[in-house]
Amino acid sequence: MGSYHLGRHLKILEFALSSMLRRRTKNLGLVLVFAALVFLLSSIVFLTGALRTEALATLEASPQLLVQRAMAGRHALIPLDYGELIARLPGVGSVTPRYWGYYYDIYTGANYTLLGIGDQGLESPGSTPLRLVEGSFIMPGQRRVCLIGEGVARVRGTRIGGMVSLRDARGWMQEYEVIGLFASPSRLLTNDLILLPEADLKAHFGMPDDRATDLMVEVYNPHEVDNISRKILERLPDARPISHAEIQRTYETLFNWRGGLLLAMFLGAMAAFMILAWDKATGLSADERREIGILKAIGWETSDILELKLWEGAALALVAFLAGVTAGYAHVQRFGSELLMPVLEGWSTLFPAIDLAPQLDPYALGVLFSLTVVPYIVATVVPSWKAAITDPDRVMRAS
Amino acid sequence: MSREMITLENVTRVYNQGRPNEVRPVDEVSLDIGHGEILVLKGPSGSGKTSLLALIGCMIRPTSGRILVAGRDVAKLPERFLTGVRRDTFGFVFQQLHLIPGISVLENVMLPLYPLEIGFTAAKRRALELIEQLGLAHRKGFKVEALSGGERQRVAIARALINAPQAILADEPTAHLDAGLSGELMQIFETLRGQGKTVVIATHDPLVHDSPLIDRVATMRDGRILDGDG
Amino acid sequence: MKYHILFGLLSAELGLLATLHLQSAPSAERLQSELADKRALVSKLGLTDLALWTEARYTRHPSQADRFAAFQDFPSSIEHFPAGSIIAPPEPLRMPVEAGSAPSRHRAP
Repeated sequence: MGSYHLGRHLKILEFALSSMLRRRTKNLGLVLVFAALVFLLSSIVFLTGALRTEALATLEASPQLLVQRAMAGRHALIPLDYGELIARLPGVGSVTPRYWGYYYDIYTGANYTLLGIGDQGLESPGSTPLRLVEGSFIMPGQRRVCLIGEGVARVRGTRIGGMVSLRDARGWMQEYEVIGLFASPSRLLTNDLILLPEADLKAHFGMPDDRATDLMVEVYNPHEVDNISRKILERLPDARPISHAEIQRTYETLFNWRGGLLLAMFLGAMAAFMILAWDKATGLSADERREIGILKAIGWETSDILELKLWEGAALALVAFLAGVTAGYAHVQRFGSELLMPVLEGWSTLFPAIDLAPQLDPYALGVLFSLTVVPYIVATVVPSWKAAITDPDRVMRAS
Repeated sequence: MSREMITLENVTRVYNQGRPNEVRPVDEVSLDIGHGEILVLKGPSGSGKTSLLALIGCMIRPTSGRILVAGRDVAKLPERFLTGVRRDTFGFVFQQLHLIPGISVLENVMLPLYPLEIGFTAAKRRALELIEQLGLAHRKGFKVEALSGGERQRVAIARALINAPQAILADEPTAHLDAGLSGELMQIFETLRGQGKTVVIATHDPLVHDSPLIDRVATMRDGRILDGDG
Repeated sequence: MKYHILFGLLSAELGLLATLHLQSAPSAERLQSELADKRALVSKLGLTDLALWTEARYTRHPSQADRFAAFQDFPSSIEHFPAGSIIAPPEPLRMPVEAGSAPSRHRAP
């Protein structure tokens, strides 16, 4: 066995490991529970981190300024006159009405998002053809056709060439031919979409001719967006401008680690409770207390014993933490966060499969570390501290 | 004065002072212990032997009086220094042995060296030497609970010797041994004395305090050392 | 020595994590190359949100939500949908609009 010169720290670590091996079952159990907790938390952190990155990157191209109308505190259809008024503001380019809405499909129990696309949307000059569409896109003047997202195609069991029938505002079934599918790489954006020609959508929902769902406003100078929003509000007090920056900010905070904290706290509280309950039951037992007494009696100082307990806690927590983080990473990267899906999906009938590259965000990992490893080590060291400061002669009286 | 290794001057230890359940396990004890002698503290249980041993070994501090170890008053030392004096000077053999189950004989013997600045290999070499000396070489990898009573006793002695202490303090070392093993134990103590070590044994076992190998007997009763012995 | 086993175990775990991370580089690259296509789609359709939760308007379109959509019972309450345990209320719902641009929701500024 080579010539090791170990500092006292390594010797104490060595004994800590010997000591832990004696309680193999208990420590293995603790590692498993701990790793499982870290696995769940890190899966959430990796998943939400990847979702945030994806949202911020793709929605970079979302409209600069949207103007909605709020009536009685809720979103209402916006008169097209508003658009004309807004278009006259200096600094404003084009104003394009958006037509969209939701559709609850009683046959599949799913909510779809129906989106209309006007002729001007189809023919934007210089725009490259959309590569994330299989089949064909809607041609100018084309009617009673649709493009559908992957999720819609799945629950409806339909493909290109098939039909999608939807009940319109008058209760009549309307049939739309599926001419294209949004390809799966776009599913995070398009999973529940049904894209219809604008005229079909308006007819389907029975929208008045002079109203749109909301207005997309082009602003020449991006720095002017807030100014223009203010001017719009001055002229149209019931309007509600939503800027591009606000959308970005929404997604910035939406998938922030604190967002998952509610779940994290719940899981954390449960696991902490389990660990604590178990540790209380089997924890700093008479045996362990006696051993601390023996070590004191044979010349260990209080600080040596605390170091021993620190190593015990740190070895267990680090092994479990790294195992949990690695498993969480693999879970998100390889297995599409499958175990989180039941929670994540909530009550959504349509929920896209998530295939994203997780990132090792040092900040998020640091938070995770301080939420799990640090409390565990404290929880192992503190009770032994009480045992370690007792007089060494205790052990001479114990029988 | 410096001839004595340990000197106790009017040492008293009081528990629960001033309360109705006040006890004085050690009361005004004065005692000189020389280098290389085997001293037996004899007396019935509850007479204060163990407490006196703990006081001698710097495990506890006296409530009053002075304890000089190699001429140095240790009664007022702060805990860290006291621990230092204790582990440089004394090796303990406890009545219940207090070996740690689940780990090997070798590790048990090495245990007192772990928090010290000494290399693992050197520590192991020293432990193996002691294990050899005490005739336990064939047991070094065994867990202590697999050993016989006499073997365990010898492991405890090896552990007490690992710090190369000047004095061995043993509390009822023969409590769990038969007559034959007790005799062997006394042989070991004699060997230690031959190496210049001081041995203090607290016992009420006649096999020990009537043994021809011991130098001196101090009889204790109610926390005091009876006249003519100290 | 047992601590070698410990260090070995920890390094193995780190190594595995690093390997996984390196392996995700190609898929990150693929995602990057798809990014331009996705942006084209977003821009063409005027999309504002990820199509994740379809159970309610404000989970399907968090950035478009009514000002108190998430607060069904009282301000800052956690709404009933399971998605609410994953996502925080959208920022525009939590931050009063800049002074002068719109009346504040509950209090005078």
